Order: sequence, then C-alpha cells, then structure tokens
Amino acid sequence: MARRPHRWAAVAAVTTLALAAAACGRSAPSTGGGGGGSSAGNVSPTKGLVTTSPAGTKPVSSITWAVYRDVNSLDPIYAFDYPENTAVSLMCESLLRQAPDGSLQPGLATLANPNPKTFVFTIKPGAKFWDGHPVTPADVVYGLKRGMDTKLGGFYGQVFTRVSSITATGSDQVTIKLKQPDYWLEGELASIPGVVIEKSVVQQQGKNYGTPSGKIMCTGAYELKSFAPGAGVVATANPDYWQGSTKALVQQITLKGVPDTSTLTSGLLTGGIQGNYAVGIATLDQLEKSTNIKVYQGPGWLTDAFIVSSLKGALGDVRVRRALSMALDRQGIIDSVYRGAALMPRWLSNPGTFGYGKSVFDAAYAKAPVMTQNIAAAKKLVQQAGATGKTITIGTSSQLSDIAAVTGAYQAAAQAIGLNVKLKSVSAQNFINFFIDPKARVGVDGFLTVNYGDYADPAAMLSTLVLPEGSQNYDQFHDPAIIAAMEQARSTADPDKRAALVAKAEQLTAQQLPWIPNVQPTSVLAISKKLTGATVSFAYMFAPWANSLGGTG
Amino acid sequence: MLVASLLIASFVIFAAVYLAPGNPIAALSGGRSLPPSSIAVLEHRYHLDQPFLAQYWYWLSDALHGNLGLSITLRENVSTLIAQRVWTTAGLVLYASLLICVIGIGLGLLSGLRPGRLDTSTLVVTAVSAAIPAFVAAIVLILVFAVQLGWFPALGNGTSLVDNIRHLTLPAVALAISSLAIVARVTRASVREEGEREHVQTAVSRGIPGRQLIQRHILRNAAIPITTVTGITIASLIAVAAVVETAFSLNGLGAYLVQAAESKDLAVVQGISLVLVTAFVVVNVVVDVLYAALDPRVTLGGNR
Repeated sequence: MARRPHRWAAVAAVTTLALAAAACGRSAPSTGGGGGGSSAGNVSPTKGLVTTSPAGTKPVSSITWAVYRDVNSLDPIYAFDYPENTAVSLMCESLLRQAPDGSLQPGLATLANPNPKTFVFTIKPGAKFWDGHPVTPADVVYGLKRGMDTKLGGFYGQVFTRVSSITATGSDQVTIKLKQPDYWLEGELASIPGVVIEKSVVQQQGKNYGTPSGKIMCTGAYELKSFAPGAGVVATANPDYWQGSTKALVQQITLKGVPDTSTLTSGLLTGGIQGNYAVGIATLDQLEKSTNIKVYQGPGWLTDAFIVSSLKGALGDVRVRRALSMALDRQGIIDSVYRGAALMPRWLSNPGTFGYGKSVFDAAYAKAPVMTQNIAAAKKLVQQAGATGKTITIGTSSQLSDIAAVTGAYQAAAQAIGLNVKLKSVSAQNFINFFIDPKARVGVDGFLTVNYGDYADPAAMLSTLVLPEGSQNYDQFHDPAIIAAMEQARSTADPDKRAALVAKAEQLTAQQLPWIPNVQPTSVLAISKKLTGATVSFAYMFAPWANSLGGTG
Repeated sequence: MLVASLLIASFVIFAAVYLAPGNPIAALSGGRSLPPSSIAVLEHRYHLDQPFLAQYWYWLSDALHGNLGLSITLRENVSTLIAQRVWTTAGLVLYASLLICVIGIGLGLLSGLRPGRLDTSTLVVTAVSAAIPAFVAAIVLILVFAVQLGWFPALGNGTSLVDNIRHLTLPAVALAISSLAIVARVTRASVREEGEREHVQTAVSRGIPGRQLIQRHILRNAAIPITTVTGITIASLIAVAAVVETAFSLNGLGAYLVQAAESKDLAVVQGISLVLVTAFVVVNVVVDVLYAALDPRVTLGGNR
C-alpha cells in the first residue's frame, strides 16, 4: 500500500497544522490539536489527539468538502486513494465498522465465530438500501465475491486469499469459510473491501456501476444525488436511514476536487469550502490562525518511512541500517516537513493504529525506545560493519519537495556516519515506478514513502513488507521470527494475545529495519467553525465520517 | 486545412503524452501498490500492453467513427466529459473577450483620440498590467476581492446564470487583464497613427465634422491592426484559460486537460486538445473573414 509521493506533501501539509510545540515527540505524543481545539471530544489512546470533533446539533443546508483531486469512481473495488475512499466512506457502509478510535464494531451485520475457520455474519434487522430494499445475504455474497473476482481488476483481491467459500446460510446470514484462520479479514471487512452494495443494481448497471453516468446503491446516512466530474460528488441526507437513531443534519454535502493548495486555502478562508481532511496543504499555519476555520488533529494510521528495497548493497547489513536510522535527524523532519504535526517513532507502525488490545500495545510501545539521534554510536556501528566509505543509492524526486527534504535528511545522516550517498532522481510522475516497476528499482538501495493499511492494526501495513508474499516486500526480506509472530497473530482469536504477537513482530522489525521509520504523521481535519461532528482520526478513510456532522450550537 | 491540423496535432499530442513520464494505472490508485493481477487486467482493457502505433490506431479509428474513447480514470465517454465542461471554458473565454473588446478597445480609442491626463494614466496602467501573467492576477484578485473584501467567491462555478456570471467575473478579469492592456495600447497607437495621416489632416482642413472624420477616416483604417491583435489575443486565451481555471477551481476544459495530462489519461488529452485546436482555427478564420469585411482590398481565398 505504497502511498503516493504526492500524498506526502499532503500529509506534511496537514501536519503543518499542529503546533510547533507538537514537535516535542518524546514518549507522550504531545502533538495535541493545540490551538486547533482538541479540548473537546474523545481523547484517544494517543494522548493529546482527538478521534472525533463534538457532535453537531443544528441542521445545515449545504456544504462543500474538498478532496485533493476529483473523485474518479464510486465503486468500492476501485477505491484506493483519498478522494475515492472519502466519497465511498461518506455514503456506504461495511459489514463491520471501524470506529473513530480504530476499534471494530458491528456495522451492517454482527459477527460470530463458531470456530476459527468460520465467520458468520448476521445482517442487522431493518438494514436497507437507499431505495428501501432490505439488505439480503445475496447482496452481501455478491459484493464480496465481486471484490475477489480478479477479472474485474479490483484492487482488493488479495485481501481474500484465505477465503475458501462465501455462502448465504439463512435469511439474514452469510457464512465465510476459511482455509486457515484469518483474523485480519475482520479488519478488512470493516473497511472498503467490506462495503455492501445492492446486487440487482450492480447487475443492471454493469460496467457503469460507480461511474459518473452510472448509479450506485448503498445503505449509508447520505445518499448519492449526482456525480459529475469537475462539479463533484453530491450526497444528500437519506431521510429513511435504517438506523433511526442517526439523523444526518447536513442536507447536502458536495465533495469537490481542489488540487491547488492556494485555491483550497482561500476557499477555506472565505467559506467557499467548509471542510477538508487536509492532505497536501502547505498553508496550515494560516488556516490555524483563521477565525473561520478550526483545525483538529487525530490519531493517524500513516507511517512516513524509508523502504530498504535492496538487501544486496551496503544496507543488506542490519548494522548499517541501524546506523542510518540512528543518524537520522527525525526532529528536523518533524519541524521542517511536518511543522510539528508528527510523532517521533518507536516502531514502524503509527501508534494511532492500535485499534484492539490497546493496553497490550500501549504497554509494549511505551517500553520501546524512542528513535532519537545518536551519531557517535551510529558511526561506530558502521565501522564495525566495515561499511565506511561505501555508497548507498536513494531513489527520489527533486520535484516532490517533501520527498526531497527527507532525502536531504538521509543524505546528511549517511554522510555523518561515513557513508556516501548517490541519488537517483526521477520526475514526480515517475516516482511511483519505484513501487511498481522492478526495473526502476535496479541499483537503488531504498526510497521514501508515506504508507498505511486498510484498518487500525499495525499488522495491516507490516504484513505487506515482512511476509514473503507481501506486496511491498521488495527484496525477499525474510526473518523467521517476525514471520512466525505475524502468521500466529493472523490466526489468534483473542485480541490481547494477538496484540502481543503483533507487538513482538513490531519490536523485531524495529531492530531488523526492513523499512526505517521516519516519523508518524497525525490525521488533520480543517473545518469551518460553524460545523462540527466529523471524524478526526484516519478512520474517516474507511467508515462514515459525517453521520454526526452538523451546525455548532 | 482544419482536418490536416487536427490529424497532425492528434498524432503529435498522442506521441508526447505517450512519451511523457508516468503511468495511467498508477493514477488510478493514487500510487499505492496494486496487485499485479489487477494491473494486468487493466492494462489489457485499455490496450496499454500494445505498441505505440497500435494504440494510436485504436484511438484514431474510433475517433473517425465519432467515438473519442473512454477515460481511464473515470471509465466514462470522453465526449460526455467534454460536453460537461465546454460551457465553462466557452463562457470564461467569451466573458474575457468581451472585457478585452469593450474595455481594451474602448480605453485605446479614448486615449488615442483625447490626448491628456486620461491618455497618460492609461499608458501607465496598461504598461504595468500588460506585464501581469494570468496566474499572478488570479492570486492577487482572490486575495483582494475574495479573501479581503469578500465581494466575489474565491472558487467554483455557481448554480444559476447570475451566480455563474458572479463566479466567472474574477477569473475573466484575471484571464483578460494582460491582453486587455496590450489591445488598449495597440488601439491607441493605431488611432494616433491614422489621425496623423495626410488624408485625415486634409479632411480636417476641409472642415469635415469630427464624428464623420473619426468613423470614416480614422477608425476604418485603424480597425485592421486592432482586429489582428484582438484576434490573436483571444485565440491565446483558449490556452491560458487552463491556468485560470485551475487557480479558481473552475470546472472547465483547460483545468481538466492539465489534470488528464498529469494522470496520462490519453483519450481525454486527445479529445480536449482537438476541441481546443478546432476553436483556435475557428477564431483565426473569423478574423480572416473580418479582414475582408473591413478592407475591400482583401479577398477571401486569395493571398492576403
């Protein structure tokens, strides 16, 4: 799940929001929403951050919400980037639901586990689509199988690798049989791969499902009114939402693509835009000072990291990787790139992803050392490894300012410990090739990323780089202890025991450093002071984020 | 002529986009690593696994049948996507052209015919504004009239006709401002020049009334250079509109062209380019026709 470089900028921008004070990155993530107004709302396990803004109380007729570019598709199997996720999660619901704090809750269905290789989903009574049709097991089965169908070219096929069958087993029941126990599937089914759509509508729409000229059918508190590229995705409150207790207060939400940062900023300042999960914004200081905009920070699921893509060069020696990590000026990255809105890492995964087994994760995380800079020790390690004077090649793009800035930090770190750095710089558009094209990685020792998994679990991202079949394991990184812990975690039902295993894998990964964590960005929401109630944490990407949105009292 | 221009332009643009860095599939996922099986399915679907000439041929044979193809990112017909946006760009360019013709030519005439304080200040103002590129004008206009004064909206298209005009005002001014200044200066210069010609001086000495003098002897002759410059600047607006549309987040063809080129959405880039090339050619033809109307010595179809 390689984050696109662009994002980077986005995230950085977002982060800019945070107070400079946030920079203190000691154990307690003090990135508090500071001036932002984190005073209200639930306090997340990551201290000082809020998972949601206080629920809205007044009806609002119409708002415009910005995303970093136009939404391309409303079909969940093609939702893989910020705009599409934001649109799908606004209107559609999954079998299970990821709460703003990352915990898994029942969604359209409740889950039972009669044995480790069987998941039984019972659809909640009254669950119905916008058109009034009840959600049936046939809809659920059809939607999941559609996600598995490789011929459609959907983006989530690999999520279902352990599934052996999906069948309707009752008037309100769907049973998933597994080849091996898979407790990661729960998380995925609380995310985009678990979105339930209506079978008859999908069949009738065929290829047009989710395109601007086609329609969609979901179950959420907001329903699609229109989808015109350029003009945006317009969603209106669903008056017959099946969960009667939730009443959408905003009559109409327009999701509009605003790629230009200065346009986004002036839009927010003048009230043309009422909200944004600020991705890609360099003007957050300005927004924070504005009297019209409130800025919140929440737990992020994101990690900013250096991917070691070749274990054949100097970085093949774990001592050199450790030395490079030790020599990195992370505080500098937090200050200059993220302007304070990121945390110092202890592990590869962001502590925002602790969605279950929290006490276990928190305890293990608190024990892990903060990755502070220590150049003297790093130098010694390089000497021990006999790597002094060796060269590492970093894949980068000078057109992506944040990538370039972090690359600069790595250059400085490497030089300080006696390594030479060569840059392989490509255009902004070609940066993605490091992730998807083996030819682009030839001769490159590593490159930078901002990455995330589909749900709040450190394993969601970690699995992509430490498991042999992981999509981001670029040079057959293979550590039996880490693999064993991860495989065991995947098959462990008890959340605390699973958390302990994942924590162990994280600790080992932090020593082996197949990726070097740089910083842990927080999730940032910029919203009009007249509005409140949106999710602040990164859960907005995967679960309804506007159900409590409304006017301030 | 139009057909030849379109054919050449389509090939050159197709080749340029093909050779440019980037990957249309990557644009779909925002750069997250897609499973290889999905990539293979998608590449096959959009003929991306074919060689360059084959891809161009697919596009060309479809285009000749009136089918401009499918957008990769939106899975939608390109002609539909263009139709949704063409009016924004057309409206913006027309609005800006109107400003250029009315204000630009008007100012030029005034200062050309009435030397004095107005003339001097026009000269100074136009000298400065001729040098303001559209993107700078956009930023300044948004800052002053949208953020500070709040008179006009900072972005978007608007919902009704009046609202549309309100939303398009700042963009049109940003788009028009430097061309407007140039047109004003050229108008002023050519009016002056004509005014000093012998036949005009003779007419003055013969006591021909001012109004008739201006209409018949000055304006008629000054019209040719004015038309030329106005025509060229209006044609150039079509290209510059992309910058302004992006700055004001307008839902127009130019901004979409930029976006599509970034995500290497070939069919969209091709479709929009053809529309813009056609518009450019049409504007130039209109200018040629105007020459014939203005100057009897010019005949259509002959060598100018």
